[in-house]
Amino acid sequence: MSRTLNVVRMQLANRETFVWVPLLILGSAFAISMIIWGILSSAGVTVNMYGGGAQAPLWYFVAVGVQALTLTFPFSQALSVTRREFFVGTMLTAALTSAILAAIFVVGGLIELATGGWGIGGYFFALDWLWTSGPLMAGLFFFMLTMTVFSLGFWAATIYKRWGALRLTAILVAISLVLLGAVWVITATRSWGSVMEVIVGSGVSGLTGVLTVLTVLLAGGAALALQRATV
Amino acid sequence: MTVIEVQHLTKRYKDTLALDDVSVSFEKDTIYGLLGRNGAGKTTLMSILTAQNFGTSGSARVFGEDPYENARVLSRICFVRESQRYPEDALPTHAFRMASLFFPNWDQAFAEELIADFELPLKTRIKKLSRGQLSAVGVIIGLASRAEITFFDEPYLGLDAVARQLFYDRLLADYAEHPRTIILSSHLIDEVANLIERVVVIDGGRILLDDETDAVRSRAATIVGDQAAVDLFVTGREVIHRENLGRVASVTVLGDLTADDRAALQASDLDVAPVSLQQLVVRLTQHAARGAAKGDPR
Repeated sequence: MSRTLNVVRMQLANRETFVWVPLLILGSAFAISMIIWGILSSAGVTVNMYGGGAQAPLWYFVAVGVQALTLTFPFSQALSVTRREFFVGTMLTAALTSAILAAIFVVGGLIELATGGWGIGGYFFALDWLWTSGPLMAGLFFFMLTMTVFSLGFWAATIYKRWGALRLTAILVAISLVLLGAVWVITATRSWGSVMEVIVGSGVSGLTGVLTVLTVLLAGGAALALQRATV
Repeated sequence: MTVIEVQHLTKRYKDTLALDDVSVSFEKDTIYGLLGRNGAGKTTLMSILTAQNFGTSGSARVFGEDPYENARVLSRICFVRESQRYPEDALPTHAFRMASLFFPNWDQAFAEELIADFELPLKTRIKKLSRGQLSAVGVIIGLASRAEITFFDEPYLGLDAVARQLFYDRLLADYAEHPRTIILSSHLIDEVANLIERVVVIDGGRILLDDETDAVRSRAATIVGDQAAVDLFVTGREVIHRENLGRVASVTVLGDLTADDRAALQASDLDVAPVSLQQLVVRLTQHAARGAAKGDPR
């Protein structure tokens, strides 16, 4: 166990990748949104303004996931870390940073709700639909979304490392075909209405559940592929 | 005491045989030279021994156990490869801190000494380091880890002659104080000849030679003197190299020289010169390759 925790410390030896850059992206997106709202507000706009900037650092997590595997995994092998220790430690690191981001997201949202959008109706964190199930659920959603995005990068890099670009592409194409098949079935049976009902009805908690399943699938796939991945 | 036991290890990639039924063992507290050409199978062998790669068949046991997913075994070994990848945005200090987390015998003071010796810039990101500086990072991790089995995979790439000598000197000095098993892969054979106690030569995925360095040296001798007398002496012997300078010939022959041989040499006024390890390994490798359709002319 201590070696697994050491993998977390290893991933965080250079905090820039996992902590500072995501925070910098989030901070910059927030600052830019605030400036824009300030301009609009001073121009006399009084309606509520919703920004989507809070998701900005998420996309960086695809890259973090990729790098965790392509660069840190080979180095961890040189340091005699087992694949299991590396996988569990790396997922723990991702969870830790996702939790930090989610905490900021919740605190930021609570401030926005309390101040009426920083006094000018600007909502960066407290996106209306996301907060319908309360701040805790919104935070959990944000946490799971970050984990999903990280796992996606990590999974894709693992498949690439193990089987190469051709098979990764083949797998992605296969997944696309399955999704298209689902779309076709829904269309053919004219059931888009009821499908949308289910999606809207399941709400933030349902969406978070879907993300959890997705994360487990991606991370599980990565763990299996990592078992026999060579450096 | 044997620390690594390899039996009938074969590694097959699609259409190439990287290791071909390799059986070899490595003893505790010995410096080995794992010698061979590029692509001979050196890195593949070391990768499998450290569970970074997998054999197709056969077995590799380290400290009597399978190293795969075995933290008990892995924590006692260190293998920084020649083309080692690092977290690129990290600084060398980060890499050393990471290494210190996993090697129980890590010596930070020693690492710092080596950083100063190699004049490694600590404020430069790893992706901006030169090839030689990158090699230095690997060398420092390998040395300061003080792992019971340490693999060095051609650690000198990009290092200049002074830095290479520094590595050899530091390795030998630290080995004297902290004996351990060192497996040094190299094709700069003469440079490491004085360092290594045992020689393992691998070629085309097969072990060609596995012997004490001194014993290997006495496997061949160079006879120097008057051309006619030299020719007479080497008749019937296996000649692996020949050079002529005017009427003086210098001919390298395989096989131990007996007391009779030495008497005959003295009588004919011929000199015996030792053969460099590199010469011998090169000739042996060529000898083994003879018969193969057409070799890479390197």
